[in-house]
Amino acid sequence: MTSRFAVSYAVPSGRDLRLDFFRGLALWFIFLDHIPDNVFNWITVRNYGFSDATEIFVFISGYTAVIAYGRMMLREGWLRAAARVYRRVWQLYVAHILLFVAFTAQIAYFSIARNTPELIEEMQIMGLGENPYRAILEAVFLKFRPVNLDVLPLYIVLLAVFPFSLPAILRWPWAVIAASFGLYAVTLHFDWNLPGYPDEKVWFFNPMAWQAIFYTGAVLAVTSPHLGKLDRWRWAISVAAVAYLAFSAFITLSWHYNSMERLIPEWVSRQLYPIDKTNLDMLRFLHFVALAWLIRLGVRPNSRFLTWRIFEPIRRCGEHSLQIFCLGTFLALTAQIVVSNFDDSVAAQVFVSIAGIVVMTLFAYGTAWFATPPAKEGRV
Amino acid sequence: MAWSVAASASPECRASQELLDLGHPLPIARKGVADHKEMRIVAMGSSSTQGYGASTPQFSYPAQLQMKLSAAMPGVAVHVLNKGVGGQDAEEETARMKSDVQPEHAHLVIWQVGTNSAIRRMPLAKFADKLRAGIDIGKSLGADFVLMNLQYVPAVVALPDEEEYARVMAEVAKEKGTGLFNRFDIMRAWYNDGMPYSQFVFNDGLHLNDFGQKCIGKLLSNAILRAVKPAQLTGEPKAAE
Repeated sequence: MTSRFAVSYAVPSGRDLRLDFFRGLALWFIFLDHIPDNVFNWITVRNYGFSDATEIFVFISGYTAVIAYGRMMLREGWLRAAARVYRRVWQLYVAHILLFVAFTAQIAYFSIARNTPELIEEMQIMGLGENPYRAILEAVFLKFRPVNLDVLPLYIVLLAVFPFSLPAILRWPWAVIAASFGLYAVTLHFDWNLPGYPDEKVWFFNPMAWQAIFYTGAVLAVTSPHLGKLDRWRWAISVAAVAYLAFSAFITLSWHYNSMERLIPEWVSRQLYPIDKTNLDMLRFLHFVALAWLIRLGVRPNSRFLTWRIFEPIRRCGEHSLQIFCLGTFLALTAQIVVSNFDDSVAAQVFVSIAGIVVMTLFAYGTAWFATPPAKEGRV
Repeated sequence: MAWSVAASASPECRASQELLDLGHPLPIARKGVADHKEMRIVAMGSSSTQGYGASTPQFSYPAQLQMKLSAAMPGVAVHVLNKGVGGQDAEEETARMKSDVQPEHAHLVIWQVGTNSAIRRMPLAKFADKLRAGIDIGKSLGADFVLMNLQYVPAVVALPDEEEYARVMAEVAKEKGTGLFNRFDIMRAWYNDGMPYSQFVFNDGLHLNDFGQKCIGKLLSNAILRAVKPAQLTGEPKAAE
């Protein structure tokens, strides 16, 4: 393919089945983790290590952004690719605002129609009661993001900047990753964040820190064929990765078992804590990288098991990530309301978890059926 | 040890009676309730006050305080104003004590402090001075004070001298005649009693999660009620949970 862009690395062609699979899995995990006090979320990755589904989701978003828009840029030019990115940003924005309205309406419905006054209290404290006009205005500017509505704004900011880095990713990916890590380091050092609402709040997912994992995904999308050089040390890296994952699992499980916790020397805890989520703590980042390395070795882009029918629901959800993400956030609130106000038994927790996943899956199949012909590009 | 188990769906939210003793009466807050049917509270502090780590702001301890105190004192207008700013230490909070407390005409200032100062290794003498200065400002504005000390969480327990900061807070509270809400020992008792960190700590190892926030809110309201309405304390507050 000829192009007027100077490109050092090719954008991989062919479908990488891992992306939809792991993104679908991340979406299920995000849904489950957003239901507090849920025994069913013992299955999610966050219980066994420092990082959680958010890292998976943001990493894959960076990876797929390069694949989709990189190809487009080489074929149709930067302007067109950038315009498509902004169309996507607009879709994300509309989805976020719709989710904000649906989310708030759900709380209003349960509090008024079902007479659950604690929920009215919740709305008021969220900032909608005191000054609803202001809150709505701030929501439009992404500054007011009540409960669990933090991920899409992060994604919107990351994608809005993305067109300007795309040519560089294809030409000088190593420089891009260096710049990305540089920004991460500077952000941590100076404690930068974007402003939120109310005024003293900042972004729960700091975009200037979380961009590091987005660009790790973006750069690996073009450089991964060249990672073969690393395979010379494949065993050493893998041993280190497994050791780190085991260490991380031990620490994470120790939060559940005091007998394990007491085994951790104080000087170790002093190095570990706090494990900051807002600024993507290095421990979380490394945990994700270790996981990704082992998955790279263990799961090929066309591994057979990825095509198994039993995993199709997961892949389908991953294919329609925006819709499923929004639906999952909405349903997690429903599940939370049901569990905390009507029935907090283990059976209820399991029921709402499975019911939510079933609804998400049915919705994904419905969306796939509806989209004819299925969109091949531009889905991130 | 005798545990006071407050009426709740969650039986683990508890503290011994002596840990719920603020150690000093709250005459201004008490007078506000008795004479004016009003209690205005400013919750001064950092991320614990802001509610970072809880899944919804409703669970932050100031919001819980608002709910529990309103429910326990029908007819009394309770206002809890959240002035938590994540990441701030004693020095930064003292600097905004006047501008944050004065306009609110507070009867009571709850000052959650110590953790960030300990993490940043603020010298103990300076820490004590900043506490005294902050309390003096608040008192000059006509408010009672309750100091809330550090949280018992992995990031704090791992510090070499976190108990020194708790000790300084107790000393300053005594010296200045303010209440002290001993969050550190209350939470330490949870841990020593077999409650795992995952029950009450957010997974960053520093902040309180939903349970931790709600429980601290409930215990603090019990402690305040005891100081403000001793006659009614034989019964439990009618907490809507």
